[in-house]
Amino acid sequence: MINDLVIGMAGSGGDGIVSAGESLISACAAMGYHAMMTKSFGSQIRGGESSCRVRLAAGPVLNPGGALDVAVALNWEDFLKFGAELPVDGDTLVLYEEKTGVAPDALPLVGVEPAEALAVPMADMARTATGSDKGKSSVVLGLLAGYFGIGREAIVAGIRKKFAKKDERLVEANEKAFALGVEYAEAHPLKKPRRVEPAVKSGPRMLTDGNDICAAAAIFAGCDFFSGYPITPSTEVMQFFTRETWKYGGAVLQAEDEIAGIGAALGASFGGKKAMTATSGPGMSLKTEIMGLASITELPLVIVNVQRGGPSTGMPTKPEQSDLFQAVFSSHGDVVRPVLAPTCVSDTFDVTVEAFNIAEYYQTPVVVLSDQEIAQRKEVIDLIDTSRFTLVERLRPDAAELASYERFRLTASGISPVSHPGMKGGNYVGAGIEHNEHGDPTASGRIHQRMNEKRIHKFDRLRKRDDLYRVEGDASAPLALVSWGSCAGVCREALALATAQGLRVKLLVPYLLYPVNEGVYRRFFATVQAGLVVEQSFLGQLYRVLRMVLDVPPGLKSFSRSGANPFHPAEIVRELHDHALGLQQRKSEARQPRE
Amino acid sequence: MNLIPSLTPKDFKSDLKPIWCPGCGDFGVLQAIYRALAAIGRPPHEIAFISGIGCSSRIPGYTTAYGFNSVHGRALPIAQGLKLARPELLVLAAGGDGDGFSIGGGHVPHAIRRNDDITYIVMDNQTYGLTKGQLSPTSPKGLHTVTSAYGSLENPVNPLMYVLAYGASFVAQGTPADMPGLAAVIEEAIRFPGFAFVNVQSPCVTYGEEGQQIKAHKAVMKHLEDLGHNPGNRIEALDKAQSYGQALLTGVFYRDPDPPPTLGALVHERQQRLMAGAAPRARILDMFVQH
Amino acid sequence: MSSTKSIDFATLSLKDALDLAVLIEEEARERYEEFADQMETHHTPEAASFFRFMAGNEEKHRAALAARRREHFGEAPSSVTRAMIFDVEAPDYDEARAFMTLRAALNAALRSEEKAHAFFVAALPQLKNADVHALFDELRSEEVEHQELVRKQLAQAPPDPDLPADDFSDEPVGQ
Repeated sequence: MINDLVIGMAGSGGDGIVSAGESLISACAAMGYHAMMTKSFGSQIRGGESSCRVRLAAGPVLNPGGALDVAVALNWEDFLKFGAELPVDGDTLVLYEEKTGVAPDALPLVGVEPAEALAVPMADMARTATGSDKGKSSVVLGLLAGYFGIGREAIVAGIRKKFAKKDERLVEANEKAFALGVEYAEAHPLKKPRRVEPAVKSGPRMLTDGNDICAAAAIFAGCDFFSGYPITPSTEVMQFFTRETWKYGGAVLQAEDEIAGIGAALGASFGGKKAMTATSGPGMSLKTEIMGLASITELPLVIVNVQRGGPSTGMPTKPEQSDLFQAVFSSHGDVVRPVLAPTCVSDTFDVTVEAFNIAEYYQTPVVVLSDQEIAQRKEVIDLIDTSRFTLVERLRPDAAELASYERFRLTASGISPVSHPGMKGGNYVGAGIEHNEHGDPTASGRIHQRMNEKRIHKFDRLRKRDDLYRVEGDASAPLALVSWGSCAGVCREALALATAQGLRVKLLVPYLLYPVNEGVYRRFFATVQAGLVVEQSFLGQLYRVLRMVLDVPPGLKSFSRSGANPFHPAEIVRELHDHALGLQQRKSEARQPRE
Repeated sequence: MNLIPSLTPKDFKSDLKPIWCPGCGDFGVLQAIYRALAAIGRPPHEIAFISGIGCSSRIPGYTTAYGFNSVHGRALPIAQGLKLARPELLVLAAGGDGDGFSIGGGHVPHAIRRNDDITYIVMDNQTYGLTKGQLSPTSPKGLHTVTSAYGSLENPVNPLMYVLAYGASFVAQGTPADMPGLAAVIEEAIRFPGFAFVNVQSPCVTYGEEGQQIKAHKAVMKHLEDLGHNPGNRIEALDKAQSYGQALLTGVFYRDPDPPPTLGALVHERQQRLMAGAAPRARILDMFVQH
Repeated sequence: MSSTKSIDFATLSLKDALDLAVLIEEEARERYEEFADQMETHHTPEAASFFRFMAGNEEKHRAALAARRREHFGEAPSSVTRAMIFDVEAPDYDEARAFMTLRAALNAALRSEEKAHAFFVAALPQLKNADVHALFDELRSEEVEHQELVRKQLAQAPPDPDLPADDFSDEPVGQ
């Protein structure tokens, strides 16, 4: 019995292989599994090569996994285009279309001998069921259900749901194709059969992706205004707002460009409303000027950057974590801007709510660094209990303060009560130009110094928070991992594996990337002799930011590479073993003593 | 809505002393705005004045309304976001010809076609005054400036024709040389339900040519009303607008006799319809639950 | 250029006329104050103090007229508004210039008084009410007096320098 199954499927767009993945993950949710699905495509709008990975497990799924347990290839040309995204190794079961004419012992996989390879007449079965060779995706689902014992009723229900709005004949035909797949699997058993442990339904589960849950979190947090511009891979955030925000009395604007997108959101915030925009790297570059305007006018604003491969147009459909420098440092002048990063679909909700709380409390723009993988991967996760969240509103002036209102009054905390149009007595002019307490333009060096002090030191309290960091593993371990964003999920699994293999390791995941709480890192690194900062960027951007801000142990190295080269838990574990060996050679206690 | 009949122009004048050069046309525009706002009667705290960057964009600070002096060319998107989020406010936007038709040019057609109830006042002086007199998009061809030492080789933008062609429902032009006329078109523009555009020939006394100054306006300006213009006809308005740069025509070029509903009205209607029976925010995740 | 399009001189009552006269002085006073502020901001002290002086004069006239109005009509509500008058006695915005000389400022004031005079002259034939007629005539002749005063000051004012101030001043500064 296995409790974790990684399935990778590839074909061409017309085959509906990704739809099959969606039916499958839908079924997983109904059956009580946790699951995660990622998709990958060629650059054609439709009909190009397409693939998906579904990982299902009884317990929470932390990342898409490494090598495939099952590889399904509807044709080899398309399958191979996905390279390292669909890694086949000696334990993989390969199911492929018989009509590709490839012999099971002559697969076009270089240097790899899968555990078992079956040429399956998927197209024929599809033709029998549907009259054409469409419907292969349902055949594939039947094979998976038959071979692994994944709940048939649930998958059939998933098929029904997917085709519900279409012709009833489509539903019938697909159900038939599914049945044929199951039959085939039963008639052609595997040499080494594998069954997936049945899931235990333990509470309601949600099926959603990072973009949708980000938008839902924003509305939950009280965001009543969104404006933005379509850009892959963030557009779904805006689209969610266009369907839902009206129901809560909110408004959404698809602006004419990225700059108008952030401009309109800032206007709404000036008006006293919680507001958000979302984009990817190229859009962030355009939005930079108005981000600075938000900082100097001290207005709350949440800016979501769903990172993709950069620089410039880069790779719109691939994740990367190379916008950290930009999030922290861009926009001219002395600016401190909080930067948060979720690590998975579930905590995208938490992080987005927190982003609004921080934006409101500190009266500042806040950047949320998601990435294409988290944003567009579907996860089956436990329903989030919204009652455990507290929502923060910006500090508003009371009657006494309004009697002689100074918008940028210097206060001990650096935070001044902020009015908004419509509030009698709170009239002020917000401006990008440097200003005195009243908001009048100034070019005085003394006032400018004081205002910079205010704008930057108001974050001292945020800098001191340690609740936005998660430390897991052996607290006094000499070996460490630091990771953020989607890579954190890989490291969490690596931590579990390495610990089970006898290594003493700990992991730090910062949710607040900037400003940096030096104390948290110092305490974490106190016992550390070797470690890796694992992230998806050529430059290893968090590693460099940490080195800029604090002293890191000399044994801490950057383990980073460009996007579209995903990390796998196993390779992190291998790295940890290498480092442990190195430490041992330097006579330290990296390994637990054998009992 | 809270109207105060006893408001005077002085109620809209802030204590901040303008940095504009004496003789600047913008002083007249400011006075006309005080007059218009006093006539309309919304109190200053219910008015928000959004501007970009430029001499003319300093104008919000010289009124007692809420103001937002933002970045170059971006007044319109900020004003639209504010108006969508807070439809009950009176929202004005202002800036110069460069702010509006050069860097901000991409925002103009969209603000017009969205048609929210915003009034946009452009102080058109055919130069970039704040930065010392460079060529602007409305500078006439052949003009010598610090960035056109041998004379501009470019044809100027015709802001009136652009705005009319983009479909604006209210387009007018004024000059401080005719203060009552200017105050009247600004008031009418603010009252107009929908996006309203007022171009003001507001000369730069420091960098402008002699022929562009207020005294020169007085000599050449013609009122559209006196010419028998029919402001209900967009084609006629476009025809009159062609003379921009050669003649100074003031008054209302175009006023839609049957203005369409504003964006705010349409949004309100949609919200009312969709809010009925919506679940509370705390239950927003229910839509993702799999059964 | 002044404008009074919406005033019906034929039916103008004494109360209205006094209220109008007060508004005219008030508008002028505010304009001179604005000009004084502009001159101060632009380091043109002589013109600044002259405009401040003119603002004071306009205020005196305004106060006197307001007192008369109160005498005759108490606190009875006014039916005229600022919207009815534009730049009747207030100098045109165009009159101000950075570095303007005292003579230039005096000439600006003179033109304003001439404007005001022209206003009353144009109104007089249209007035049907005898009291109003008398008032406007009085105000007209006062404008003549004011012009005389300004001319006297002009006579005593130092001549404008041969070389314009602009040529000595620094280049304008980009912001």
